[in-house]
Amino acid sequence: MRAQFVLSETWIGLRRNLTMTIAVITTVAISLALFGGGLLINQQVSQMRQFWDDRISLTVYMCTDTSPSNACEENGAATEDERTQIQQDLEQLDEVQSVEYVTAEEAWADFQERFSNNRALVEATQEGDIPDNFRVQLADPTQYEAVTGAVEGRPGVDSVSNDQAVLEQFFGLLDGLKWAALVVAFVQLAAAALLIGNTIRLSAYSRRRETGIMRLVGASNFYIQLPFLLEGAVAGLLGGIIASGFIVAARVFLLDRIQSWFQFDVTLTAGAVASVIGVSLILGVLLCTVTSFLTLRRYLRV
Amino acid sequence: MIHFDNVTKVYPTQKRPALADVSIDVDKGEFVFLVGPSGSGKSTFLRLVLKEEKPTHGRVHVAGKDLARLSNWKVPHLRRRIGCVFQDFRLLPNKNVFENVAFALEVIGKPRRFIRKVVPEVVELVGLEGKAERMPDELSGGEQQRVAIARAFVNRPQILLADEPTGNIDPATSIGIMKVLDRINRTGTTVVMATHDAAIVDSMRKRVIELEEGEVVRDQTRGVYGQAY
Repeated sequence: MRAQFVLSETWIGLRRNLTMTIAVITTVAISLALFGGGLLINQQVSQMRQFWDDRISLTVYMCTDTSPSNACEENGAATEDERTQIQQDLEQLDEVQSVEYVTAEEAWADFQERFSNNRALVEATQEGDIPDNFRVQLADPTQYEAVTGAVEGRPGVDSVSNDQAVLEQFFGLLDGLKWAALVVAFVQLAAAALLIGNTIRLSAYSRRRETGIMRLVGASNFYIQLPFLLEGAVAGLLGGIIASGFIVAARVFLLDRIQSWFQFDVTLTAGAVASVIGVSLILGVLLCTVTSFLTLRRYLRV
Repeated sequence: MIHFDNVTKVYPTQKRPALADVSIDVDKGEFVFLVGPSGSGKSTFLRLVLKEEKPTHGRVHVAGKDLARLSNWKVPHLRRRIGCVFQDFRLLPNKNVFENVAFALEVIGKPRRFIRKVVPEVVELVGLEGKAERMPDELSGGEQQRVAIARAFVNRPQILLADEPTGNIDPATSIGIMKVLDRINRTGTTVVMATHDAAIVDSMRKRVIELEEGEVVRDQTRGVYGQAY
């Protein structure tokens, strides 16, 4: 009896304010989609960071006879002594986990393998163009500057290349995207809250006769308010469901594509996406219900 | 059943009290007319009984409860013991007679079986048998007021408050309404009726409490409306 009565009142309320309900659902859907998108990007970035932190390395290129840089032209090709000295110094640094010496032949072979799908590039280079180098694995990836500083500019060292700098730019872009999405999401959520407040107010007004009688015959406050709260919750839930669709689409069409461009071997698990959707749904329902409740306290005094 | 103890009510926007130091006792099963000109405090009295307003001074007891000590969330339970009838009927236009009466039970969570049993009894009690399927706009004013009375009484309240129930009804029909209220009173329900209708008060010969400018100027068992009017 109770459940049926409350549900039918809820349904009547939703239908009576159909245009407002649609506006609420749309706003909630857009704001939650942006919010969920922000969360997804956030998760993606932190996963990629972790992935790269495990693999990040510095490469210390040594000078050869053909090196074109100024540093090398001053000091000439690296000598055997310089190589041993640098290797020793690197190994003594706390921030360094391991140092591996790569000869010019190995570097060339590695290069050929890595760009095997780009024959023009491979054919344009020859053995010796890729200088011999040290691959330095860092114990703490954030400390790359200290390691770079220790060897850069020393005789025999051509340059120190650092994957991190390139990645940070990319991560910075994603971070910016995330914050933009979240800020827009919160503005939209605020707009959604105002809309819901208005809708519930209209709904309460159009049913003031019923609620007046309910009050008079001693219906409990909860019972009087429940249809309105459910009205808000249903709108929030529908908005959330639509937003879930957007979130899944964002993952398939945006994040997965970004990964394939950058050849990152990190995909968000279905679980991660599901948790983002869950959070969005809960946020949608809570936002709508709480706003309805606050509105009712003002317009449905008991 | 209703006990006012030196009750004063001053509305925030007004200087003159709506009720000034009023002490009234209404016993269980009594039938009381509340008379007096507009603005004499009749409606304020009824609102205080329902705890729609709080007294500025003094104490109000209803059905053995001190309303000042009754917490807000218990007010609905107080109101379940009080039925209310108004001048303007306040029926739901999109529900028929049965549904209007049943509404009062649905919203306090009574089971459907109980509702199906009790509502027809009350509809018959107010003299509307055979009209349960009618919509309010298919009924005369008197019949609509009977529906409102049925709705107020269907939960068997201890008190029935009627605020000028015959105000919108012609004298001949009013007699019928009074008979219904009298019938309800005979079941042991306390009835308090605010009214301007001198003919009805005079014909019923019940207790009459007269208010003027918020004060009780007359309290008479088996009284009449009064010579001044």
